[in-house]
Amino acid sequence: MSEHVDPASNESPALRLHRQLSAIWATGPGLQRLAAVNHSVIGVRMMVTSFAFFAIAGVLGMLTRVQLATPNSDFMTPEIYNQVFTVHGTMMLFLFAIPMVESFAVYLTPKILGTRDFAFPRLTAYGYWCYLFGGSIVTLSLLFGVAPDGGWFMYTPLSSNVYSPGINADVWLLGITFVEISALSLAVEIVVSILKMRAPGMSLDRMPIFAWYILVTAMMMIVAFPPLILASILLEAERAFGLPFFDPTRGGNPLLWQHLFWLFGHPDVYIIFLPMAAVLSTIIPVFARRELVGYRAIVVAIIALAFLSFGIWVHHMFTVGIPHLALAFFSAGSVIVAVPTAVQVFAWLATLAHGKPRWDVPMLYIFGFFFVFVMGGLTGVMLAVVPFDWQAHDTYFVVAHMHYVVGGALAFPMLAGLYYWLPLLTGRAAVGRLSVVAFWIIFIGFNLTFFLMHLTGLLGMPRRIYTYHGFEGWNGLNLLSSLGGFVMTIGFAVLVIDLFVQVRYGRRAQRNPWGATTLEWAMRLPPPSYAFASIPHLGEGGGPADADELRLSLARGEGYLGSTRNGWQEALGVHATSGEPEQLIVLPQPTYLPLVTGVATAAAVLGFLFKAYWLSLGWAIVVIALLVLAAQRSGHARDLGPLPIGKGLSVPPHTEVEGSPPWIALVCTLVIDGTLFTSLLFGTLYVWTGLRGTPPAMPAPDMVRVAILAIALIVAAAIARRSLRALVGGAMPMGSVAMTILALLVAIFAGMGLIARIVPAPTEHALGATASALVGFVIFHAIAGLVFLISNLLRMRGGYVSQRRTLDLRLTRGWLDYTAVTGLIALGLFIALPGLVGVLELHP
Amino acid sequence: MNAPPLAPRRLWWLGAGFALWCSALVVLYAVHAIGCRFAWASGSLRLTLAALLLAHMIAIGWLWHRFSLAMRGPGQTPIGAFVHAVIVWTLVAALVSAIIALAPALLLTTCT
Repeated sequence: MSEHVDPASNESPALRLHRQLSAIWATGPGLQRLAAVNHSVIGVRMMVTSFAFFAIAGVLGMLTRVQLATPNSDFMTPEIYNQVFTVHGTMMLFLFAIPMVESFAVYLTPKILGTRDFAFPRLTAYGYWCYLFGGSIVTLSLLFGVAPDGGWFMYTPLSSNVYSPGINADVWLLGITFVEISALSLAVEIVVSILKMRAPGMSLDRMPIFAWYILVTAMMMIVAFPPLILASILLEAERAFGLPFFDPTRGGNPLLWQHLFWLFGHPDVYIIFLPMAAVLSTIIPVFARRELVGYRAIVVAIIALAFLSFGIWVHHMFTVGIPHLALAFFSAGSVIVAVPTAVQVFAWLATLAHGKPRWDVPMLYIFGFFFVFVMGGLTGVMLAVVPFDWQAHDTYFVVAHMHYVVGGALAFPMLAGLYYWLPLLTGRAAVGRLSVVAFWIIFIGFNLTFFLMHLTGLLGMPRRIYTYHGFEGWNGLNLLSSLGGFVMTIGFAVLVIDLFVQVRYGRRAQRNPWGATTLEWAMRLPPPSYAFASIPHLGEGGGPADADELRLSLARGEGYLGSTRNGWQEALGVHATSGEPEQLIVLPQPTYLPLVTGVATAAAVLGFLFKAYWLSLGWAIVVIALLVLAAQRSGHARDLGPLPIGKGLSVPPHTEVEGSPPWIALVCTLVIDGTLFTSLLFGTLYVWTGLRGTPPAMPAPDMVRVAILAIALIVAAAIARRSLRALVGGAMPMGSVAMTILALLVAIFAGMGLIARIVPAPTEHALGATASALVGFVIFHAIAGLVFLISNLLRMRGGYVSQRRTLDLRLTRGWLDYTAVTGLIALGLFIALPGLVGVLELHP
Repeated sequence: MNAPPLAPRRLWWLGAGFALWCSALVVLYAVHAIGCRFAWASGSLRLTLAALLLAHMIAIGWLWHRFSLAMRGPGQTPIGAFVHAVIVWTLVAALVSAIIALAPALLLTTCT
């Protein structure tokens, strides 16, 4: 039971507590490091890995600049050039930008929230391995000459089988989808942790602005990634099995890819920008030595930005032939999105103007941010105006704009944040003036490289071209641009040397070196594996007024959970809005399961890549088995009731309360899935409205099977509800769970029978393909429901489910309710499709 | 006596205004595309789009009114007051965005 710190011991209470907590939380040495699940370890690994991909992508960018430095260059063949620029863009965005902002979130968020770790540490680790393996597949493909070569946005039909045979495009589709699994798992993790694992007393209105930004970003990821995942699944299904979703010769619509891609792609700019804006909103008040101006206005602005960024995806498609009226919606929306961005920029400027700013290296990068980002934002507003976009579309002007936005929104704030939090990461302070030199070289190199691209673009140079003749008037600008690229690279090399010198030779950093008020500085430098020896309670003042006093008090165990118990990794769960403590969360110990599951997932992906579909299916089953195995080790095998957490309070474990982290995670998962489902409905209707000529005959579906499938889904959901009621009533409903399994099996077989009878056949026409996708969606969810139920049976047998521990059955009920609702909608559209096609025949 | 803590489900309202903005944009885009695909008469298409936009604006305006009244109610906790203020301002921003981004475009030629 509870083991309290003995004040009579010779050892100081703080040191003794530190030893006890370290024994519980630390990752083991040697190969045991592979079992790490701690957010600090994973965060640093993600940071290092993303910087490694940044370096590789940077080298690829340099190669493109060498190729374009002079006209008629044969430095690379066109085939290699296509692979190089495609992987450069893909890697910079998917393998560097998104994971890098995530790594900041993974490392910092729990510390800033005043908690010990994320809600699902094994998921964090699994996300990291997926990222590493997916990124490695893409990188290795370059070495074997089979890298993607259709541009980082993989437009169809160029990326379809006809124009991109071989596995190049498959590498992109599978590798990037693999990485997106990682991004989504981390997004769910972040949302749950911010809502439920803040320091007690940290109500939403007193939450550091950093956490607001990260919360909104994670929610954006939850909604933005599913359309791209769906697009990748559909295109891979077209390439692997011949389902013609995007093939116009068989009723498909290539523009559907662009819609789904940019439904992800445009918000993604803000998914990258908002975490870096979080960095700026955290750093600027520290250097200005005053509170951030306009906390509430910024919260409103980031919510507005999150939504507006989704509503303007079509501005990437101004030239595809959309009527003017619709173009005007998206043009105006694209201009309006500058307003909430400007609210933040002015809040930062006002904070600096009203404070007494002091200069240090992070402030240099903040200056760089203001200069570069505002430039990129202004050219963005120019491109939002349709007539200008028509002129500049697909020219180097767009390349320049994109690099200014991404460089400004990402690179400069990232480096500001890196220098700001380096003492926290390494425990060491800066040693020399090399940082300043590195900044100026990067800044000058960046502007020399990309500013000139505005001019080459305005002179008509198209993007993605392999070479040019030399009489177009682009020679000098291209040469200077390439020189700028080399200068920028030298700057980054100096920065790497500076970081190395700082880590290796820097003097020990004093605690809280910048005089910040956020909680990450209220701990030892570098932070121990458990982060806080005890969890703080935030007083009326918001952040810690005296960080030093708070740190010592927490180290002595004077906060919550200031003792150890049963060797558990303990954290606190709080009320989502008020931040009052309400549950004890026991986190899992280090385990190899995430690594093994990641390897099995990689094997499934590779099996698909090499068209060994049965092998891939086998590995997918292994992945599911491992997930079920992981679930068997969660929670407690008996009822525990309220447990003391310090300060005279007792709360029950999270397995015995409603609103626990797994429940919120399920809600997030359903939002992800719901977005994917909505995208599928949109895709089906888009293919339908895009049909031209006489559509093929589409007879009414087999209504008996449709009815069996629908009834089986409803019955499964109803029995799942009854099972939960029985459990709450004190029974152990093994029989009901078995009946639910039976109902789902009936649904799965009825669904498979439906797909086998679809006319036109799914490989013959897009109508058949979309109809089969709708039924396939239902079958997939019924299979996932089976996995839930099998896990329920195993956990009931293991004693992990009881009248008080109902979480498992509540999760299953939630999933099956969702499956029934989406299943009925999908079947409704499936039944309606022949009628919709009939309408088209009336209006050819 | 302490006021009850603000229910977590109230947080969904933070996104309500701009969710309606997004809904207005998508519905107008979809109905416009379908109208043009099936060659609806220009006048009736424009009227339908205007009615749809108006319905969304009324919905946002009604929510604004409702939350503005709730803000003035007694017994607000600091967190409740904060969340209400943010909800009200997101609704205001969503309404203004809807008017600026969507209304003038309805005066343009419908299907060219």
